[in-house]
Amino acid sequence: MTTCIPAGTGKLHFRVRDFNAQGCRKASWVTFSELSWSRGVSKFLQIQRCNSSQSPINESSKPLRTITSSSLRDDSTKFFDFTVIGSGVAGLRYALEVAKHGSVAVITKAEPHESNTNYAQGGVSAVLCPSDSVESHVQDTIVAGAYLCDEETVRVVCTEGPERIRELIAMGASFDHGEDGNLHLTREGGHSHHRIVHAADMTGKEIERALLEAVIKDPNIFMFQHHFAIDLLTSQDGSETVCLGVDTLNTETLEVIRFISKVTLLASGGAGQIYPTTTNPPVATGDGIAMAHRAQAVVSNMEFVQFHPTALADEGLPVKSTKARGNAFLITEAVRGDGGILYNLDMERFMPLYDERAELATRDVVARSIDDQLKKRNEKYVLLDISHKPRDKILSHFPNIAAECLRGGLDITRQPIPVVPAAHYMCGGVRAGLQGETNVQGLYVAGEVACTGLHGANRLASNSLLEALVFARRAVQPSIDHMKSSSLDFSASNWWSRPVVPMSLERNVINKILTMTRKVRKELQSIMWNYVGIVRSTTRLEAAEQKIHDLEAKWEDYLFRLGWEPTMVGLEACEMRNFFCCAKMVVSSALARHESRGLHYTIDFPHVEESERLPTIIFPCSSVKSTWSSRQLHNQPMC
Amino acid sequence: MATNLSHQFSSTIVTKAEPLACSAINSVSRLLSSSTGQSQPERENAEVKYDGKSEKPTEDGEDELDLNKETGEIGGPKGPEPTRYGDWEKNDRCSDF
Repeated sequence: MTTCIPAGTGKLHFRVRDFNAQGCRKASWVTFSELSWSRGVSKFLQIQRCNSSQSPINESSKPLRTITSSSLRDDSTKFFDFTVIGSGVAGLRYALEVAKHGSVAVITKAEPHESNTNYAQGGVSAVLCPSDSVESHVQDTIVAGAYLCDEETVRVVCTEGPERIRELIAMGASFDHGEDGNLHLTREGGHSHHRIVHAADMTGKEIERALLEAVIKDPNIFMFQHHFAIDLLTSQDGSETVCLGVDTLNTETLEVIRFISKVTLLASGGAGQIYPTTTNPPVATGDGIAMAHRAQAVVSNMEFVQFHPTALADEGLPVKSTKARGNAFLITEAVRGDGGILYNLDMERFMPLYDERAELATRDVVARSIDDQLKKRNEKYVLLDISHKPRDKILSHFPNIAAECLRGGLDITRQPIPVVPAAHYMCGGVRAGLQGETNVQGLYVAGEVACTGLHGANRLASNSLLEALVFARRAVQPSIDHMKSSSLDFSASNWWSRPVVPMSLERNVINKILTMTRKVRKELQSIMWNYVGIVRSTTRLEAAEQKIHDLEAKWEDYLFRLGWEPTMVGLEACEMRNFFCCAKMVVSSALARHESRGLHYTIDFPHVEESERLPTIIFPCSSVKSTWSSRQLHNQPMC
Repeated sequence: MATNLSHQFSSTIVTKAEPLACSAINSVSRLLSSSTGQSQPERENAEVKYDGKSEKPTEDGEDELDLNKETGEIGGPKGPEPTRYGDWEKNDRCSDF
């Protein structure tokens, strides 16, 4: 039997029974009495087969390939066999497969190429060399994941990776080759073999390009750009929650568009933007994780946020840019490798205090050390100094950092570079079984939004594109099966009340709300960085919990006092809801883990604890006292 | 104090990455051998061209192939090996680690 506790209403602890030594750890809210990774989830997900067979629902009108506005007044509901939320590698890869079986809508909140995928310049890891082995890749992944990975998941991903790469090549993605005609493989930290395939320096971009090209050519796939996903549409089928589509806001025409589908793939990416410095583009606001949580999907391992230790700190540059940097400039290891020294703002070299390898310690140690310095000294950045090296060597080795800093009025041959850690990747997310399935029927997940068990407590380099490819592919057959065997009432489009655009509010009221929302966003990012950073503590996390709670209450109160109504939607307001939702989940997950492991480090439990080596689960259920951020905006249909 | 801190931090080191010192030494020596004699600011192209010309005489075709003599890679990233320090570096910027 499942017991769940409304989010935020207190702690209830069960004794967790280990299930094949892969049980689940209790988070502050929840427990399953027995739950393991893929086994538990698959067991729970008895997909209900309906008796009636259905033909695919297709859009009746002649397809408009890329749709940014609905010209017909009554075109505010669209029916597709499959709806994909997100246009990164996971979403597009999936779309191309399921499109062979039905109509597909791809919903993306900005331009299709705007996703973390596009910024992934490294490579994709896969076993493609005879001297390499799946076992080796598995081991490297598990070690990197601090032994919190689900071994079955890791094995599946490492085994299926090579085939997924070959398919990409067949689809037109160009990866670098060697003289012998074989794929050129390089080796990143953490890998014991050369196994990273790449396309010059822009692997993610190249994969995205190839997939987009194929998507555009596919007559069954319809791209809806500038459509922001608001909430998943769900209903109850007995004790099961079923997903039947998603409400979106066309941010160009300001219309609410409802998508009804038997199958939804959530591939909306990461949530780096909840931190003030992040490599993630502005679209990465955790929308998918938040929507899934509101739709009763299980979320897992949110405490494992990957930071890079040394991003260029714009606030330390003499000349401040008027335009805020979208994604952080991560300064390569090479600078430290070439002799760069880290100092705090008093020009004290601090790394030797933390590790005898000083600046050459591993990245996670450097990140923690920098974070510790910043928090102890209440400062915004530290300094990375290479100016003691000969000027011509600096300029020849690091011309781009030199140029970038010069733009900000800083000469790196004479002055140290201001740096601060940046949030880069969310290892946690919506809990997925081996087929990308979730505990919500008809809802599948793939990519960074998912928590598949691959990354565990820390992601191995180049494994994220791999995970996206493998899970996008694995979710295909179950999706097709589900689509073919489930029924959908066309009147479903009326089952939920519609979110509304705030037409009734005055322009100046909207502006006030916008201004406040932007301010609150910055405040939340600041709380996250200051209280839920790299070096954590119970005191700080509890303070974060309180501050986030107060900030959310203050923001919602402000909105509603100005006339904003609970069913109203706007891009910034909806993103803000998702911000709060994700932030709260990171904090509560961090509080629930009474050990330090991988990316999660807390001074109150600074060591790894074998008894804690379990995933952190957040299992929502209908809340008695929920905030606007934690509720779906439409009313649930009556069962 | 110093001991405490290093115990705190080093006890939780995830052994996912090879110690930077090792890769740094290997990588620095690689960097030195591949960048000797280069004149800047043609850093981006110099690596490949230098490698192409310094060793055995090349045929015209190989230069056109954009071959990196050291790694055998065709059409690869210009400049030093992006993974020489364990992360993925392009234009001094890290994009994966």
